[in-house]
Amino acid sequence: MTRAPSFVRFATLALMLALLGVVSAQSTTALRVASTAAVTTWDPSLSFSTEAVYMANIYEPLLWANATGSAEKFTPALATSWETSDDGLAWTFHLREGVKFHDGETLDADAVVRSIDRHRAIGGAAFIWAPVTDVVAVDDMTVRFDLAYPAPLDLIAASLYGAWIVSPAALDAAEADESYFEAGIGAGTGPYTLADYQPDAEVVLSAFPDYWGGWDEPGHFQNVVVSIVSDQVLQEQMLLAGEVDLALSLPPTSYASISADPRYAVQTVVTPFNYVGFLNTVRPPLDDVRVRQAISYAIPYDDIIAVGAEGLGTQGRGPVPQGIYPWSEEVPQYHYDPDKARQLLAEAGHEGGGFTLRLTYAAENAIERGFAPVLADALADIGIQVEIEPLLFNQQWAIAKADPAEAQDIFLLLYWPTYSDAGSDNLWSMFHSSDVPFFNLSYWRNSVFDDLVDRAIELTGTDRATAQALYVDAMTILVNDAAGLYFLDAGAWYAIPTYLSGFEYNINYPFATFFYPIRLAD
Amino acid sequence: MELLKFVSRRLAFSLLVLAGVATIVFALTRIIPSDPAALYLGPRARPAEIADIQKRFGFDRPLIEQYGQYMRGLARGDLGNSLATKRPVTQELGSRIAATLELMLAAMLLAVGIGIPLGVVSTSLRGSIGEALVRVTSVVGVSMPAFWLGLLLQLVFVHLLGWFPSAGRVDAGLRFVAPITTVTGLNLLDTLLTGNLTAFRDALVHIVLPAVTLAAYPIGLVTRMTRAAMLEVLSQDYIRTARAYGVSERRVLGRFALRNAVGPTLTVLGLTMAFMLTGTFYVEVIYAWPGLGSFTVRSFLNVDYPAILGMTLFGAAGYVLINLVVDASQALFDPRVRVA
Repeated sequence: MTRAPSFVRFATLALMLALLGVVSAQSTTALRVASTAAVTTWDPSLSFSTEAVYMANIYEPLLWANATGSAEKFTPALATSWETSDDGLAWTFHLREGVKFHDGETLDADAVVRSIDRHRAIGGAAFIWAPVTDVVAVDDMTVRFDLAYPAPLDLIAASLYGAWIVSPAALDAAEADESYFEAGIGAGTGPYTLADYQPDAEVVLSAFPDYWGGWDEPGHFQNVVVSIVSDQVLQEQMLLAGEVDLALSLPPTSYASISADPRYAVQTVVTPFNYVGFLNTVRPPLDDVRVRQAISYAIPYDDIIAVGAEGLGTQGRGPVPQGIYPWSEEVPQYHYDPDKARQLLAEAGHEGGGFTLRLTYAAENAIERGFAPVLADALADIGIQVEIEPLLFNQQWAIAKADPAEAQDIFLLLYWPTYSDAGSDNLWSMFHSSDVPFFNLSYWRNSVFDDLVDRAIELTGTDRATAQALYVDAMTILVNDAAGLYFLDAGAWYAIPTYLSGFEYNINYPFATFFYPIRLAD
Repeated sequence: MELLKFVSRRLAFSLLVLAGVATIVFALTRIIPSDPAALYLGPRARPAEIADIQKRFGFDRPLIEQYGQYMRGLARGDLGNSLATKRPVTQELGSRIAATLELMLAAMLLAVGIGIPLGVVSTSLRGSIGEALVRVTSVVGVSMPAFWLGLLLQLVFVHLLGWFPSAGRVDAGLRFVAPITTVTGLNLLDTLLTGNLTAFRDALVHIVLPAVTLAAYPIGLVTRMTRAAMLEVLSQDYIRTARAYGVSERRVLGRFALRNAVGPTLTVLGLTMAFMLTGTFYVEVIYAWPGLGSFTVRSFLNVDYPAILGMTLFGAAGYVLINLVVDASQALFDPRVRVA
């Protein structure tokens, strides 16, 4: 009998040995995380997307907005105290002493002024600073913001986008080379530095030794390795196999099974993700408010939440998500009442329905994909046929903005506020009149609504109670006029291994996970 | 000289093909209803910002001008910037080539290492259950959708048995235990070259399932091709003569038959590389493999024109290059091809 050549035997042996050692190399020094968050930019001024997960650990704003229900609305970050003038047109922030940037620079008023000026000039979220007319360094450690109208600058300064404070040296470098940050450079004051980045693969964060918060408490992770995994099911497999310690986006369908697994503590949270259906109000039959109201009454909201979001969510109360200002229980809701829907259709001259509507949704959104057929079935019950058209969001978006007369009848949209003020964002962006459609894809115009929202925006900084009342009036008009369908405020869930502590979800930062407080449990 | 002329002619033709591909894909991407400036800035950009970007990148110019600008850039090797990541497409592709190449090479090794022996074995087992088994296996390999196979392998070998990791090229914590020193970008090779066996083992267990998934079709194809070629060769007179001289069956199959039968199989293997490149689209997504495939899928979902164009051209160039090499090799050994 002949024997296999020696190199073949060696290779086979090596392979067998390798495969026997299937236990993968694990590290106790690193927190291993799976996240869907791709990086679209490393520029802290341009950042306006999913890279916020990392930015929130590398950079800091002046303030952090606390989660709903907290005793204090804000936690000082780079500003230790702040005050506003009586007329709300000047906000003064006193900076934290002894704060170092990752490149060794020291935090001062000039760094804050230059950061905010750059965000205002080129930022993807520059519009949040629209009320600001000037940013002034009063002294080395004091900054004053002058405003055109009394906007809630505390909320703006706590934004996840366009509010990071950046090292002056990095700003100099970025002035000379606009793509400076894109090489994977982080230049903030946050607890972690950007140690490495492999596009679409992983982001590695390492502890910043000079972080002002310190590393004295035991259990902090010195490194965080985030694997970028776009598939939720794969994230679940990685979590269950112990390949990662945290999976930030798990499939809703696994909620029950993982909840029953004693290795994990499951947290269910309310998110600012609001699912809306824009009704095209500029062409028949949806230009008739009774038809729009009929559709609103024909929707089985509980089924929409059960099927689309696996029960994780609550029925929307207008376009402002629960837990975010100026959400209010006083805003009316529609309830499932098909008889009333038929009656309204008849009153509008459409007895038994008999017309067809074209609905578009973002094909990549699993929740919309889940509940769109439920909506179609419900409308079929009252005689309205729905042609469902899944499109990539960007295509859906382009069609909707091209010509309202030729656009879709129903546009499903997932929306969330840029910062924690859904009055100036959700209400204004989605329903304020505009000549060129921006996010108002109902193409709805109502001057009373516009006036209420405009006044509320200008009062939020000085008289939030009055502003809230104006917003409630505006939302009541909006809901009664049924310019949109308000399906659900989505919930979310996280499975935290019992060996970890400190994970906290903050509704004001839905895309951020703060790694600094996460520690190995005792 | 004649060979040089042949290659030059084919090279010129290849450039024409690439220009054609660039033109068609450019036209197709611009037919899709979407605004590149809005894509660049994201959905929350204000109209004024969109107008600025349209002007800056020339999206507001006539299509023919944009086409000219793109082709001029292409001639300089500039594929433009990705709308989603804002980075140069060449940089995006460059950073992912090694991962995809490593996966394709591993799959190719499996295709050759498993497909050819299976094809040979099946001819020596004619009429037996073993042959039927090999034939069924090869048909399954060719016909089974790889995305389904990938999920199945994950279910069995990751979820149920826990033998292999589910995603990525290496474990997330590996860099702190046995960091890989990059030499070629191919993890398996680099870890061997630097003697980093811990990392080699980790990279190996990570590549097994994606490579098997990607190799399923080529394994089936190579098995069937080898079997068909072997059967044809085995019916030749010289094989009968060899057997008549008492040469062992093992020697007949391995030394005389296989050497003559393997040629067509290797030609097909070259062309299978193109199939593999598209195969990486779903394999890389299923296993979170950070290569060109997952980047392409993301680019399509984002309607990221420059990235889609860049990847299409890259794929086309690879395909054209492989064809060119195959044709040149044939021309080198067979002068009749040059005339044709």
